[in-house]
Amino acid sequence: MAVAEPFVAPRPAWRRPVSLDLRAPRTWSIIGASLFAVMTLIALAAPLLSPHDPLVPVGIPLAGPGHGGFLLGSDSIGRDVLSRCLYGMRASWFAALVVIAGGFLIGGLVGLVAGSSGGWIDNLLMRITDGFLALPAPVLAIAVVASLGPSFTHTLIAVSVVWWPFYARIVRGEISKLAARPHVEAARLAGAGRVRIAVRHLLPGALPAAVVTASLDVGNLVLALAGLSFLGLGQSAPAPELGADSARNLSLLLQQWWVPVVPGIAVAVLAVIANVAGDSVRNLIDPA
Amino acid sequence: MSAQLAPEDVLTDEGYAVVATAEDLHVTFRRNGKAIHALRGISLEIRRGEILGLVGESGSGKSVLGLTLLGLHGAGATISGRATVRGRDMVSATDAERREVRIAHLGAVFQDPMTSLNPTMRVGRQVAEAAGSDEEALRLLRLVGVPEAESRMSAFPHELSGGLRQRVMIAMAVAGNPDLVIADEPTTALDVTVQAQVLRLLRTLRDELGCSVLMITHDLGVAAQIADRVAVMYAGRLAELGESDAVLRNSAHPYTLGLMRSRLTLGVDRSRALPALAGEVPSPAAPQPGCAFSPRCSVAGPDCVETSPEPVEVEPGHHSACLRPLAVVRRTDTMGPAVLTARAEPARIDQDTAALSLRSVVKTFGVGKGFGRKRTLHALRGVSLQIAQGESVALVGESGSGKSTLLRVAAGLEAADSGEVELSGGSRPQMVFQDSGASLTPWMTVEQILGERVRDLGRAARAAKVREALSLVGLPAEVGAARATQLSGGQRQRVCLARATIVPPPVLLCDEPTSALDVSLAASVINLIARLRRELGMSVLFVTHDLSVARVVADRIAVMYLGQIVEIGASDRVTSAPLHPYTRSLVSAVPDVGLTPVILPGEPASPLNPPSGCAFHPRCADATESCRDTELGLRLQRVANDDVDRVACINIDLSHVPTPVYITPKGA
Repeated sequence: MAVAEPFVAPRPAWRRPVSLDLRAPRTWSIIGASLFAVMTLIALAAPLLSPHDPLVPVGIPLAGPGHGGFLLGSDSIGRDVLSRCLYGMRASWFAALVVIAGGFLIGGLVGLVAGSSGGWIDNLLMRITDGFLALPAPVLAIAVVASLGPSFTHTLIAVSVVWWPFYARIVRGEISKLAARPHVEAARLAGAGRVRIAVRHLLPGALPAAVVTASLDVGNLVLALAGLSFLGLGQSAPAPELGADSARNLSLLLQQWWVPVVPGIAVAVLAVIANVAGDSVRNLIDPA
Repeated sequence: MSAQLAPEDVLTDEGYAVVATAEDLHVTFRRNGKAIHALRGISLEIRRGEILGLVGESGSGKSVLGLTLLGLHGAGATISGRATVRGRDMVSATDAERREVRIAHLGAVFQDPMTSLNPTMRVGRQVAEAAGSDEEALRLLRLVGVPEAESRMSAFPHELSGGLRQRVMIAMAVAGNPDLVIADEPTTALDVTVQAQVLRLLRTLRDELGCSVLMITHDLGVAAQIADRVAVMYAGRLAELGESDAVLRNSAHPYTLGLMRSRLTLGVDRSRALPALAGEVPSPAAPQPGCAFSPRCSVAGPDCVETSPEPVEVEPGHHSACLRPLAVVRRTDTMGPAVLTARAEPARIDQDTAALSLRSVVKTFGVGKGFGRKRTLHALRGVSLQIAQGESVALVGESGSGKSTLLRVAAGLEAADSGEVELSGGSRPQMVFQDSGASLTPWMTVEQILGERVRDLGRAARAAKVREALSLVGLPAEVGAARATQLSGGQRQRVCLARATIVPPPVLLCDEPTSALDVSLAASVINLIARLRRELGMSVLFVTHDLSVARVVADRIAVMYLGQIVEIGASDRVTSAPLHPYTRSLVSAVPDVGLTPVILPGEPASPLNPPSGCAFHPRCADATESCRDTELGLRLQRVANDDVDRVACINIDLSHVPTPVYITPKGA
């Protein structure tokens, strides 16, 4: 029997201890990526952070920022703009996460099945995916809302329908690249079945790319949803929503600018935070 | 060690004696945040008109030396010392000066001509770019032996075969009559017969043009065949330098001795385990103090760990970097006494039971070329092969011969178009792949990967089984917790063998498992396969392009050409007294110390369009008109009614089997 050589496994990168060295790019990436958690916490805590009820008039209408006890002013019927923005951000953030999660699950499943089966199943699923990719999001949303009635849920359904194909394409691409590696054939010879190969030997390799895409996608989705809500395809009237609040009060732009502009700035802030966080996640997962 | 040369010797155009030098050259670069000490103080000179073979295993720094001489070391590298070409230092020179030196004095040939040629440019234009004019480009293409050079000028790189692409690269390298051509593993990606042609070409060009060649290679046989002097590198330092014959036949450094002894040739003693160097090449990320070879050296003492020996002249013109006196090194057996005396018991072969039989297997692939233009690739054109229980058979052939396809059909990874594949006992064969790293799932631990074959066992039983399998291939149990990327090349191949044998299969299929490994590791993996086969009673089907590997691992060798077996027989007979003209040229193309290869013209024909009759006839020196006959229906014929040897050739006297020459090693 051969003499066993001593063996010490080097530690993989992701198991290295987190250092607080601010000069290391990795530290900044971790801080950036934690913005996702911070933003989710703010969204969850919106009822606690808001000074007023966003739906009820609580003071003089159209008070300027800092006047009448309103930090960011009040709107045309005396509701607090800050509270409406916080609630609006909460709605946008969760809506974006829900669509991403849906796209990730449906697209990931379709991509996994297509990529690991190959042949005609792959062709069929990917052509269907292409069909969905060809649909324009706003037009589809208008069509869905027109047929099912205006509702936030319907808008989310419409956006999800056009969103998942991106994930299907990315996951399928990664999976079919992995499927050509000999480790899959080795697993076949080791007696692993189709499902086991797909789940154990293919899927984990496609996840990093999908997670990176998803985290970079949150910002896009916040903007897309705000756009639809600006067009009146979001929640119905009294509900606080950033895009709709901006659109409804556009006529006040030259006199009481804060009423339409503050929700717009909130959208921008949300999108920037999501992009910074997404970039950081990408740097962590895929440092090349 | 650089000779004392007056500066005018180096600088004048006519009378110079040394083309390039490295003087105490250190190169360190960073990869993934780690400092890689690629060169750690190397001095040598390349003389005018000589071919210097630079030999080393992976990580020895041989390619970095070549790149530094070319001035292509990159901006991130920390360099000290000098690397001069015709007296100009490429380390301290500006980019413009380096380019000037490259244009005036240097040419380069790299391993993979497909990636170093521009795929979007016709080869004529690419050569003309280096040569200056179309006429000159055409002259160069003729010079390097590109047939039908005029029409090839307008071809794109992908339309040429590997051998022709490398010739085009060489044409570009010798454009403008350089003083030095740096060739980095130029033949590693080529088939043996084509490799012999390219080596011959490089030598002829040197004789005709008078340029020097720095031949970087991992293969001692290649160096032996082409080089005037050989420099052996180990861990970024020079181990040995001298005339080829002196270094390779009369080695002075323990490392070179070890390499020469663990090297596989057609003369290795098959009845014993191969002598293998212990341990692995040290990582260039963490160089140890002292002599880098000392942990693997049998004559090393405590002083070797303290001082790093400089090369000293041990014989006239022969330098070695070792603290021990020459007599001690040569007398000592660098392998340790245990290895050489271990006589391997022959494996038990049950000739009456077939473990695997393939009957008239045919396999074609459709090769898509745009819409509607599907072509058929004939990978296997009727192959029959039986492997007895416990027997080991090697499939040998060049690229496109179908040897890997046959293995994949036997494994059940590809279905044959027609023909039968029969496995005794019905249980699946297991396979070991060429790229061991890629055949292990990167995110799974070794324990999870091995455990997959014994999923029906309970957790504790599974863990015990994994430990047992790892120890059988000589790996400690801690490897179970590691992932593939954390293991070295040799360890990965052992893990692959452990996976294949955790439940011993009736047949072990090996697809070039050693061709990606360094010389010193290949021998130990081959020993391991032989031991596993013996202990577990497996049959082995071993695919390789290397006849010397085939001879050692196999009882019988089957030689394939273009989807058919052209010769099969006992491995000693096939390698020492080959019958088929193709086998004869394969045997003579194996590069080795002190042998002049017989060069087979042409390259393997394309399996997209196999020639009529005997597929080998366009390259065969003995071919007659009837070999071309489409109705030939060539099949394997018994030689002298014996059951072992068969050959498919109509020009061979089948009445008697030539006597094999059993090669006995020196001193045995």
